[in-house]
Amino acid sequence: MSAVPLVEHFAHGLDAPICLTWELTYACNLACRHCLSSSGRRDPAELSTAEAKAVIDELERMQVFYVNIGGGEPTIRPDFWELVDHATAHHVGVKFSTNGVRITPDVAASLAASARGYGGVPQSGYVDVQISLDGATAEVNDAVRGTGSFATAVQAMENLAAAGFVGFKLSVVCTRHNLPQVEAFKAMADRYGAQLRLTRLRPSGRGADVWDELHPTAAQQRELYDWLLAHGEGVLTGDSFFHLAGYGESLPGLNLCGAGRVVCLIDPVGDVYACPFAIHDAFRAGNVRGPGGFAAVWRESELFRSLRGPQSGGACAACSAYDACRGGCMAAKFFTGLPLDGPDPECVMGHGERQLAKVEPGSAPRPSLDHSRGVPITLQRRRPERACDEHPLTAAAMVSG
Amino acid sequence: MEKLASATAPETTAPVAEDALEEDALLEEDLLVEDVSIDGMCGVY
Amino acid sequence: MSVLEKAWALAPQVSVRSEPFGALLYHFGTRRLSFLKDRRLLAVVEGLGEAPTARQACLAAGVEPGELRAYERALARLAETDMVRERAG
Repeated sequence: MSAVPLVEHFAHGLDAPICLTWELTYACNLACRHCLSSSGRRDPAELSTAEAKAVIDELERMQVFYVNIGGGEPTIRPDFWELVDHATAHHVGVKFSTNGVRITPDVAASLAASARGYGGVPQSGYVDVQISLDGATAEVNDAVRGTGSFATAVQAMENLAAAGFVGFKLSVVCTRHNLPQVEAFKAMADRYGAQLRLTRLRPSGRGADVWDELHPTAAQQRELYDWLLAHGEGVLTGDSFFHLAGYGESLPGLNLCGAGRVVCLIDPVGDVYACPFAIHDAFRAGNVRGPGGFAAVWRESELFRSLRGPQSGGACAACSAYDACRGGCMAAKFFTGLPLDGPDPECVMGHGERQLAKVEPGSAPRPSLDHSRGVPITLQRRRPERACDEHPLTAAAMVSG
Repeated sequence: MEKLASATAPETTAPVAEDALEEDALLEEDLLVEDVSIDGMCGVY
Repeated sequence: MSVLEKAWALAPQVSVRSEPFGALLYHFGTRRLSFLKDRRLLAVVEGLGEAPTARQACLAAGVEPGELRAYERALARLAETDMVRERAG
């Protein structure tokens, strides 16, 4: 009988992810300013329908519980519904994230019908929908996501509600400009029978370009933390605000970075990264097109092995908050040019701010990929600027010994 | 600021377990089932 | 009537996955993950739907009579979190 707590098994990595994020395409009808995947244009090398089905079959064999499908805008892939059906027919649940562009009344009705079916029938397909919205008003939302995007999202939510799809997700990336609207978001979710999800803005993808402008102030972080403790029951924080645990009480949940241990990302060209906020060669574990497929990458890649080993806290280990915050988010540190064995840029103790002041302007790593519209295809892949960009984990291990 | 969770693992017990202040509390560690909510974990939708 | 004398079944929204260290159950409705620390408990849970009572599912899974109390408490927890539900029997 094992006496080891589950979270320790998680920290050491499981034989298969519990769930994973799968970006199906870099194509997108929008051009959100903070897009974590720098999406806009399809990549010429995206997985074919057959290759995508083969990935799903592998996930079934590995018994991954579900996939979080995103992109870009996944529903604009012509084979999107075919892939969703294939997943649900093969015991892999699907939760997909969308800006709402294809959630017509007919689509909403069909999703609602399948959701009703799941409740009563064992092992039938499971599909959940998450609508992305970053403002409770068009003014705030469209400033980040583009003109008309608020209307598109609201229409999708109305369609889902009208079709009787209860409990879909309304997902918000928290910014300086929308945090004052958190009560309005809650009211909106309630109005449509949806569940609110709040997620953390990372300086990832195009987010790096708007991070200084959009990330919450320290005061706002504290307010968010207090709000979550007081009113956050029923509010999902799937992307984790575990770095806020340094304030005191931990928020509900594991408060653990699962990257490479319990979750990971598969990108549209089959590359496997530790997490969707870390699309950079330094966090690339392999490709599903390799001989051993996804399973071999998950189980054997050097990157994931190093993430699953014991992590010393480095400069953070002496801090009283470390046990709670575990040094925060590695993607946030990486893309702000901070060392991985030091504080998070939004460290609630203020240690990150002090370290950021020492980062040479322009020296932070840039994302390895850029599929933004307007970027020539030949420049979609960026080579690392410096050798040490490629191995931040090794560097951190050497520093902390 | 007071020291939080032990060095080995952050708090993982679900609210159901946190209610168990009666005599079963001592036996919690022997319980063959452990519950977690994974919503607080990065990457979970 | 105690947990052991009732008939149970896995809730339809639960997915089960065995692990070297036991098993994981994921409930698509509650979004909770339950960790079964013991592989015999996994066998019990998988056998519940067919067994007339939980006691019989336990014995069939190789649980010794002296160990039943621990399995009873485990099943009670799984019932509390809706991982298993009573069935008509």
